[in-house]
Amino acid sequence: MDPASSTAIVPAVMVMHADLASALLRAAEKVYGPIEGVRVLSNEGLSRMQLEDAIEGEVQGWTRGGLVLTDFWGGSCHTCGAAAMRRHGEIIILTGINLPALLDYLHNRARMNLAELAERLQVKGRESIRVQRATP
Amino acid sequence: MGFALHRIDDRLIHGQVLVAWGSRLDPRRIWVVDDAVSASAWEKALFADAAPGIGVQVFTVDEAAAAYAAEATSAGSTFFLVRDLATARRLHNAGVRVRVWNLGGLHYSPGKTKVNDYVYLDDADRADARILLAAGVTLEVQDVPASKGMTLVALEPSVQP
Repeated sequence: MDPASSTAIVPAVMVMHADLASALLRAAEKVYGPIEGVRVLSNEGLSRMQLEDAIEGEVQGWTRGGLVLTDFWGGSCHTCGAAAMRRHGEIIILTGINLPALLDYLHNRARMNLAELAERLQVKGRESIRVQRATP
Repeated sequence: MGFALHRIDDRLIHGQVLVAWGSRLDPRRIWVVDDAVSASAWEKALFADAAPGIGVQVFTVDEAAAAYAAEATSAGSTFFLVRDLATARRLHNAGVRVRVWNLGGLHYSPGKTKVNDYVYLDDADRADARILLAAGVTLEVQDVPASKGMTLVALEPSVQP
């Protein structure tokens, strides 16, 4: 791991439908404790261009990239995040973010670089969806 | 089966289209008819990848008008998406005869006034709506299948031709 990147916190903005991003962050605080530095955006009432501008406003200060955390692939939060990604390069979008993935981000955002963290969160998010059936 | 949904929505492909209308109508293809998207290689690629399991094609207005009749009689259902009333009116002028347009999302920007929570219109939008209504087109305001649809005329009598 690049020593310089190991000490930098990977920034993130959560872009989701309705109040999901703020609710997910609030739920994470119940488990993790007070959270600083994670921004939230809702797509509610916004056109494509307005949402792209809002995401742009959040990521333009990132000098070494960061994560756009969205709810589902193909939604406006994802596709508008892709527009910001195209303009800013070092941004990675993750879709399908759930509470376990968000908590894993919080625990690892200061000790992993952007690419490593994105790969890890994809795995953690998927692994967290499990089925438990009643045993006979 | 042809076209299952003609929708005017400034977000084009997004969650309501994929999840709500898509689950209800099970489209095999999505047409995005938009000159600006068609002129942008990266936006075309973005939309082509946005709907897993559904074939997405991006057309200009002229290309869509030329291909419309053949697609309307093809097997499988297709969603037809445009971003604004101006594009719907241009398609009408190009000979595309759509009986019902679904108005699913025309969001606020300066100069537009509210029709409901997800439809805002300016004078140019109203003029385009009048042209379509005068031609016998139905403009139905409905964001998702589970919500109650209403005609634009009922919500906004000023567009009555």
